[in-house]
Amino acid sequence: MMSRNSMYTNPKPCKHLADYKLRHGLSGYNLLQEQIRTTPSGKSSVKNHQTEIPRCCFCNGYQKRLYLCLICSSISCSSHTLLHSQCENGHDIAVDIERSELYCVLCCDQVYDPDFDKIVMLKHLMDLPRSGNGVDVSAGRRSSKRRRLCSALELDLKKTKQLVSMRDLRAKSCYPLGLRGLNNLGSTCFMNSVLQALLHAPPFRNYFLTGQRNHEVCRKRSSDRLCLLCDIYVFFSAVFSGDRTPYSPAQLLYSWWQHSANLASYEQQDAHEFFISMLDGIHENGVKARSPIKDTGECHCVAHRVFSGQLRSDVTCMSCGYTSTTYDPFMDISLNLDTGNCPSTDLANKSLKPSDNTYVSTLLGCLDLFTKPEKLGSDQKFFCENCQERQDSVKQMSIKRLPLVLCLHIKRFEHFPVRRMSRKIDRYMQFPFCLDMNPYLSSSVVRNRFGNRMFAFEGDELDTSTEFEIFAVVTHSGTLDSGHYVTYLHLKDQWYKCDDAWITAVEEEVVRASQCYMLFYAQKMLYYKANEDLVCQPVSPRADPFLPIAGCC
Amino acid sequence: MIESGEKEKLMELLRERLVECGWKDEMKALCRAYIKKKGTNNVTVDDLVHVITPKGRASIPDSIKTELLLRIRAFLASAAL
Repeated sequence: MMSRNSMYTNPKPCKHLADYKLRHGLSGYNLLQEQIRTTPSGKSSVKNHQTEIPRCCFCNGYQKRLYLCLICSSISCSSHTLLHSQCENGHDIAVDIERSELYCVLCCDQVYDPDFDKIVMLKHLMDLPRSGNGVDVSAGRRSSKRRRLCSALELDLKKTKQLVSMRDLRAKSCYPLGLRGLNNLGSTCFMNSVLQALLHAPPFRNYFLTGQRNHEVCRKRSSDRLCLLCDIYVFFSAVFSGDRTPYSPAQLLYSWWQHSANLASYEQQDAHEFFISMLDGIHENGVKARSPIKDTGECHCVAHRVFSGQLRSDVTCMSCGYTSTTYDPFMDISLNLDTGNCPSTDLANKSLKPSDNTYVSTLLGCLDLFTKPEKLGSDQKFFCENCQERQDSVKQMSIKRLPLVLCLHIKRFEHFPVRRMSRKIDRYMQFPFCLDMNPYLSSSVVRNRFGNRMFAFEGDELDTSTEFEIFAVVTHSGTLDSGHYVTYLHLKDQWYKCDDAWITAVEEEVVRASQCYMLFYAQKMLYYKANEDLVCQPVSPRADPFLPIAGCC
Repeated sequence: MIESGEKEKLMELLRERLVECGWKDEMKALCRAYIKKKGTNNVTVDDLVHVITPKGRASIPDSIKTELLLRIRAFLASAAL
């Protein structure tokens, strides 16, 4: 049996549908299955006779919606379905011929039955040429999900609670732990801004603060070589020490330069490039240090455990419907700004769409754009396994597996290699503080492709969380060559502006109005747990007030 | 025209064009607005169809009408031969 996603509730059947099911069960559906045909674009229709036009048995009309009675197979148009039900007692449930959707005559409304949809879907899948790695109706693998959950729990907060009692006495202010300015070492605001975000990515932060990274035993350090992970550990310790004076991450900068020699200079770099190269550095350092893990295909370095997710790409042949599916890992998602421009280049259409001067770009719009089916150009014809020739095709991206921390990168820098120039897109983009990624998951996207079906998708896990909370925003202001990066952090219900060494509390309107470049979202449960422990209280609420707590007086 | 499957092809083409130019999204938005106004439990598919159909018919871009008419004429001309 197929598993069902608990968040996806089926509507209750109406009385008439329930009656029909009691009396006839699935027999009507099964007989209908033979007559369903599906087009490559996914539309399922009931096709009794290939050449005859279906007509209403009362008025002989064929232009309205036609409904096929599930009991006697007589066809009525929308005006006469009621008449049919009056003539024949109990003939209340019909199927919309063109769309293969259930209709209750007495309720005058569409009704839903998962059993019916399952049958339509099965026929659809049987009709499709065998997809390569495509929609699989069997129950998904559970083991990988369980492993990921365990991994997330490892990076759990419990150990961090011990830190509260070992606080530095100098932290008198009520600001949260880990808030510390970073000195600009020469156009290094690109680095400072990303580091601020990394400092507060809950699982990433916990990994470094709870000593999972064993600093003492690091082989590289003992042989006096540079180790990026150790330097990050030192960096975290310094920032979370409670000392509020601005810190200079010189050692970390130098360590990173060693890793990314091509980016080593005092010039301004791109914050996103720094982020990727930093994660890459952590991965490489981590992989060498640990003993080889049994081949599960998943990397267990902290960078991957926190940021890595999986994308699904479906390429569908437009002639036969054959779909080729591939899965690729990702550490972040780069999004194009949605400008509301209609792809049709017809000038006569001016009246229909407003010009993009009034259209506001939103993050959800960008994500919609990212998961929208895209027709591949005629120069990118895809070789269809089924047709055995190159065909026009449609590509659609979706997210197969979400990471613990989702980094969304807005492509604001446009490069024109031909003209050898680049420019920055200053367009404002609105972004939410709470993000539900459900509509962009593969399960939702692929389900939508099949229309309005109650359909359980392979890999639908009951405990999949798709809700994210924002915790950091890296913004860019200025031009491509001379700009400045600033990070806004969301800690304990308060927004802080981190502008190199200067940290100030700001109102959320300021953040909403900023020009975002990189957005960092954490899975909701991780975010809320993380924020519990950031309070600097003179006495830990759980401790016995009479027992001395180390470090406090 | 139905026998040859041309009607199906033209229907598919029409659907594609309507999605491309945003007509489908507009209709969806209209439906949502109507449902919001009436309340989710008080609307039937028939209701929606009756309300949306006139608006939909009126807002189809001329370019699409022209294109489809041309294609139909071309087909009839070729079929008559």
